[in-house]
Amino acid sequence: MGVTHVLASQLPVLIVLLSLGTVAKIAAIRSGSPGTLAQLGPAVLVPDRFRRAALLCCAVAEAGLAAGLLVTAHPLFRWATVAFCAMSTYILLELRRRRPDAGCGCFGEVSSAPVGWRSIGRTVVLTGMAGMSVWAEGPGWLAFAHPSWEYLLAGVVVLALLSPEIETLAERARYRAPCEQRRGPAESVTLTRLRSSEAWQAHEAHLSTAEPYDSWRELCWRFFAFRNHDEHDVVFAVSLAGRRPTVRVAVVGSEDSKPLPVYKPVSV
Amino acid sequence: MSHPSVEHRRVLAAAVLGREPAAPSTGAEDGEPLRAVTGEIRDISPHLIVVETPEGGEERLIIAPWATAWHGGDTPPGDLPVGARVTMRALRDGRVVERIWADTIRLTGTIVSIDGRKDITVKLDCGPHRGRRTAIIPYRASGRLRVRHPQFEPGYLFDAIGVRKDGVSLALLPATSQPSHPAPPPPYTGMQPNISGTITWSDIFDAEERGAAYPMVEPSDAACPDAGMSCAGLPYLAIGSLLHVRNVCASRSASMPIVACGCVAGRFCDRCVQCGTSPRGRIAELAPASFVELGGELIDGCFNAQIGWG
Repeated sequence: MGVTHVLASQLPVLIVLLSLGTVAKIAAIRSGSPGTLAQLGPAVLVPDRFRRAALLCCAVAEAGLAAGLLVTAHPLFRWATVAFCAMSTYILLELRRRRPDAGCGCFGEVSSAPVGWRSIGRTVVLTGMAGMSVWAEGPGWLAFAHPSWEYLLAGVVVLALLSPEIETLAERARYRAPCEQRRGPAESVTLTRLRSSEAWQAHEAHLSTAEPYDSWRELCWRFFAFRNHDEHDVVFAVSLAGRRPTVRVAVVGSEDSKPLPVYKPVSV
Repeated sequence: MSHPSVEHRRVLAAAVLGREPAAPSTGAEDGEPLRAVTGEIRDISPHLIVVETPEGGEERLIIAPWATAWHGGDTPPGDLPVGARVTMRALRDGRVVERIWADTIRLTGTIVSIDGRKDITVKLDCGPHRGRRTAIIPYRASGRLRVRHPQFEPGYLFDAIGVRKDGVSLALLPATSQPSHPAPPPPYTGMQPNISGTITWSDIFDAEERGAAYPMVEPSDAACPDAGMSCAGLPYLAIGSLLHVRNVCASRSASMPIVACGCVAGRFCDRCVQCGTSPRGRIAELAPASFVELGGELIDGCFNAQIGWG
């Protein structure tokens, strides 16, 4: 029983890590500009047009393995996990040799630091863990239900020590870029915020259309330009900083009637 | 989204934030103002040049005795061929020419393919708006270019200055030194009131156009999927925003609108070494006319600059 416990102890770690990898890779693909993908392994090893597909393929394989490990005890999934981890080790070594500037991409965009011995060590340890789990009894959910805490903790600590991503995340939290340099929320999200503001409610009746004719972002503000029934411009500026954004509004006369702003700042 | 009137954005933004709307301007802190004149040579002698401007007008300009020209190499102004497209730097209210660049082009982009052994043919991907370009590196220029591009292979960046001769783009001079490995983004240092970096020029602008292509614009606003990336720690601005550019090397400054998405400039992490070493990263690409009026030399390819906005 004791040996079985040890063998199955790392299954939860593997399942959680594979799922995290899937989620992070899908997030990298969804948000990913081509520039981001061009710096992440294993996508950098394939030609430009296959990068998205390569990362997606990895994510699907990880999701499949995680699901397989969780619900069945079939040796196919166990051996496939060993093979996947061993192949990852080889790919990371290759990546380090061919593209020393690229990140491993194991957890998507967070793993953008160049591949080091720690990342490679981690895949070696994961291969070992996967190898150990091959002979474990029962499917993964059983290991979740009755975890052997001390071995599980030991595994997590070893992996945490070998994960440069934890430091990257800590650094990102510490040195958060100011809002001028951060990518803003999508235009539709900001528009929804605007529509729940007092300034919007005060001017909504005067607008000729509900959709802005122009919208742009400058520094920490997103601007929405509308026309009102008098053919004047109604401009809303929604601050992108903070949770409760400030909304300002101005009515600007048409270009021939020179005297400009009748503006008043309004807060939500 | 289309841009009904990007100039109008400045007025609207100023009104809603309660600030004075600013207008594009140029100004020399010392020395006399420069004017850039572009056109096609109709007639040229050692002392006088007649050009046809892009609007179809004609300009007759005096060539200063100390004037120099570049047409793939230094050449006396009087030897320039009729029909060449020139950009000129003019003094004295723009009547006296002191520097002429003829048929000068700039090839900036990511290398797609490299062919040939002696004369090398390079295919470049110049970003989503500018498409692909093909350039030939003559054998005599290849050593000079390759030493500044340590990674001269597909997937890496390329930036060179050259001439267009008989419809062929020749790359002759390296614009800047490219780092051998892509640099990591700079650490966060807070928002500085003045950001320093390098400013380059590009030949994608219309002949008489003045303005800048800026890399840090929201991709959805500018329909530019590669935008929003920069090595210089830049803030987000919009197409239509006003950029104050100060040429540190020539002590000249100007305000100009952002007229295009400069996603190609955002990929570069190089430095300019025209006067001291600039911090890493390209801030913007200027139209040749704006670049020249700020005291820039087209064949040097860059100047050290500070920017502000508003």
